[in-house]
Amino acid sequence: MASTSNVYGGDEINAIVLDPGSLNTRIGYAGDDFPKVITPSYYAYEPTTKKSIFGDGINVPRSNYEIKPIMKDSVVSDWDAAINQYTHYFENDLKIDYKEQPILITEPIWTSTSERKTVVENFYEHFEFPALYLARAPTCISFQQGRPNCLVVDIGHNTVSVTPVIDGISLIKNSLRTHYSGEYLSDQLKDLFLTKFPNLTLDNKFKIRSKESTKYPDQPKFTVRDNIPENITQSFEDYQQELIFHEMKETLLEVPEKLISEENSEYYSKDGQKRLFELPNGQSIELGIERFELADSIFDPVNYHFTNKQLSDKYSTETGNLVIDTTQEDYRPLKRARKVESNNSTPPPSSPSKEIIDETRGLTQLISHALSTIDIDLRASVAHNIIITGGVSLIPQLTERLYNELTALNPGLKIRLHAVGNSSERVNQAWIGGSVLSSLGTFHQMWVTKEEYEEAGADRILNQRFR
Amino acid sequence: MSANDVLDVLNIQRDTSGQPAKKKAKTSNDGTTGLRQSGMARELYNLLGPNTPPVNLQNTANNTGIKDKWKTKATPWTLQEFRPTAEPGKEEGVKLYHWVRGAKELLQQESLKQPYFFKKFNTNVDIPELVDEKTYDKFMVEIKEHVKEEKKIQRQKEKQLEKERKAKEKKEKQRQERLEKEKLKAKEAKEGKKKEVKEEEEEDEQDEKEDDEEEEDEEEDDDDEEIEDNEPEWTYEETAYLFDLCKAFELKWHIIHDRYHHENERSQEDLKEQFYRICKYIYANDTNGNPTLIEGLGAFSKIKETERKQYLERLLRRTPAEIAEEESLVIEARRFELAAKKMLVERSNLLTLLDYPQSSQSVSQYQSSQGIANLYSNLMIMDKNQKKRQQSTAVDPIPPPIPLAASSSSRKERSFQTHLQQYLTGLVKQNQQQNGKHEMSAVQALLTKRLSVKDEEAYGLHYHNNEKLTPGVVLRSSQRLHGLQQRQSVLKSVNTILEELDMATAAGTSWKPVMPTRKTMAKYDELLRSVITLLDLKRGRDKLESEIQLIRSQKGLE
Repeated sequence: MASTSNVYGGDEINAIVLDPGSLNTRIGYAGDDFPKVITPSYYAYEPTTKKSIFGDGINVPRSNYEIKPIMKDSVVSDWDAAINQYTHYFENDLKIDYKEQPILITEPIWTSTSERKTVVENFYEHFEFPALYLARAPTCISFQQGRPNCLVVDIGHNTVSVTPVIDGISLIKNSLRTHYSGEYLSDQLKDLFLTKFPNLTLDNKFKIRSKESTKYPDQPKFTVRDNIPENITQSFEDYQQELIFHEMKETLLEVPEKLISEENSEYYSKDGQKRLFELPNGQSIELGIERFELADSIFDPVNYHFTNKQLSDKYSTETGNLVIDTTQEDYRPLKRARKVESNNSTPPPSSPSKEIIDETRGLTQLISHALSTIDIDLRASVAHNIIITGGVSLIPQLTERLYNELTALNPGLKIRLHAVGNSSERVNQAWIGGSVLSSLGTFHQMWVTKEEYEEAGADRILNQRFR
Repeated sequence: MSANDVLDVLNIQRDTSGQPAKKKAKTSNDGTTGLRQSGMARELYNLLGPNTPPVNLQNTANNTGIKDKWKTKATPWTLQEFRPTAEPGKEEGVKLYHWVRGAKELLQQESLKQPYFFKKFNTNVDIPELVDEKTYDKFMVEIKEHVKEEKKIQRQKEKQLEKERKAKEKKEKQRQERLEKEKLKAKEAKEGKKKEVKEEEEEDEQDEKEDDEEEEDEEEDDDDEEIEDNEPEWTYEETAYLFDLCKAFELKWHIIHDRYHHENERSQEDLKEQFYRICKYIYANDTNGNPTLIEGLGAFSKIKETERKQYLERLLRRTPAEIAEEESLVIEARRFELAAKKMLVERSNLLTLLDYPQSSQSVSQYQSSQGIANLYSNLMIMDKNQKKRQQSTAVDPIPPPIPLAASSSSRKERSFQTHLQQYLTGLVKQNQQQNGKHEMSAVQALLTKRLSVKDEEAYGLHYHNNEKLTPGVVLRSSQRLHGLQQRQSVLKSVNTILEELDMATAAGTSWKPVMPTRKTMAKYDELLRSVITLLDLKRGRDKLESEIQLIRSQKGLE
């Protein structure tokens, strides 16, 4: 459009953009460069009074309040809480008049049709937005970067997903996803604590009034606050502990240049590579090679087993292949019976005979495998536009390592990685992309009203309108 | 303190009469600015003195501009509702709000008439409507027959090839057998057993017959074979679904294939094939179908497409070593190309050297004395030009190197002759210069009368007859020898040759004789010259050699 004439492509309608992530939920106005609200996707809930608290208020210790997640697997699992949370922010924080603007909601690529239906129906039912749109998160990210053809590698809290985007539309069949991501790293940290620092007591921040710095294995010296309410729930404690792990991930981890082996382990265990981390109770722990090993684990999950049974059960081996539900009631032929003979025929020659190996794919293998499944005509352009995003991608040296490994694995392709330099932009990239998308003049013809949804049918809208 | 003050202090009278008009203008300027400026700014401005810049530094126009703008009314912006999908004038689709520049009343009228600005960008691809089920079935039957026929043809072709192959093999076999038999025969002839040979020959005939029968059997088998279809059949519903997707995703095949959820697993090529062939039939049955379009639709070949992709795949699977090798080959090829180009350039240079004026016109115009004079002057000019060119391109004073090639042509080359003549005359001149000793000046004559040769040598006398002498005293070691006036590269190669010959030269770059007496210097100069000529000759020889090699390889002699 811009090449022929200089038409300004934007048309601002200040739509609401909602990006629910597994760790944080982002809400804001389209056309902004940053979300107005970034809030944890957790809420505090008191079972007897049935009161819930959203936002950063959940970090305040209160008696009997449980911390519960709203999302599970990057999909809303607790819809009552989700709707309460959204209403809270829409009405109390942003004070929006629903009828004035439509809403754009991002969704991951692995949502099933039924889950998508629930999203749409819940929004039509509980909010009076004139129209809505479900945008795939990788599509949004491609819009944020302004690259219509790209491979989006989103290393988030819950999942690592690799999605090719062609002409701004995500290709679902070629997408891959594993759970070797932020949460996995937290669990690795937890595991490390259990094995390496068995005598460590992780006292949460809210308990501590004053502290003196000590170094493990010396006992921590701190005084406990006296006004702590009674009956603090276990889930609250756990949540607070997660925050410590989160901080440790942010400050300590570093990706080694190569897989850690016997050869280079010496280099990484040097004193110069050691870092201290001060826990909330003033006790410091020192991590040397461990901080490299932890970061290495998302590249090579096979070699990093949990010692704790509970944790190792949480992660099964994952190849990253998506299970796509093909519930297509509309077009199931009813009249004619299928010919049985067609089933035992040989597969079409185009599919190269690849053995499906049940293996665990680390980050590099995941991307490389995704590249190899993409149509050959697109592969070169997609390999040249790999977008790295998500909070975990901010671990130092991660992109460098990825680049080196990918170029070594794909000598025929010219690999180029794109990662936004600004760290907060990288974390909120999908939201920003949604903001870009919903301020485009041409996009406004894509909004779907409730009437249209009911008229055309959920399947049609979900498959052809929400691309 | 102004510049005037400075001048006053220094007691310098300023010439004021020269520019009275200018001063007036300045004073008027000072008047306006003086009012405005105060404090430091005035002091600074004063430092400029009378040399006020021609451009007024105070941009007063801007200030008034803002004031003017204050007075005008701002253009109104209106929050206006719009319906992006609706036809003009109708109320349908979603109602959204955006800010538009302009008054409310005006905009409302306009918006009713005009469609949404960005609506024009929402275009659809032109896809034919799918026909009804009956015609579709008809098409499919036709397609199937067509496919069958094609496959038959292909199979026949394959069979033909197979047959040919078999026949060849058989012939080969028979020949070998025969050879063996002949050997046997030869052996047996020696042993004198002729009977068995006859029997064997009969057997051979029988074998051939059997082979023919086998072949016939095979053919029958082929005909019985049902033409197998690898892919599941396309139902009307599935095709309708495909057309629907094609329309929704504007023929972006990668996306269509991605969103294609049907119980049959189809590759992207399957989808393309089905879509294109059905489209082809639809257009063909349509009376106003575009024939070129139909032809284009028929051109899609699934097999070719999959093959293409497989080739591409293989291309990408190259190992780094293979890629590196390929690259090095490409570089080498490029180097060869460059060398060939260089050779060509040199050759053409050589040819221009041999160039002579072509006489395309009749000779009659040169028959008069005037004509002859013209011709002479023309040739002279051309000759001069050529000389210049030669000097600019190649400094080496080699004689025109290809007398053989030149003389091979029947005509006598004038320009070549002139070159040769030039060279010869040059040589003669040099000789004359060297022989110039014999022409004696008066002083010399006087001296030679009094002194013998031996004396002359003892006194170190030398007669500069025709040599140009630079005034002043010159050391012989720093004497500018004639042989040294060459290019740096030539001198370098001369140096290496001298080193190879183990010549005793002074150390370093200045390789002059250690004892620079007149004689040694003269000898040395001679040596240098001969080395340079030698080098030139060698270079010429190399060039010719490579030429010969090139021609040989072109003619396929090597």
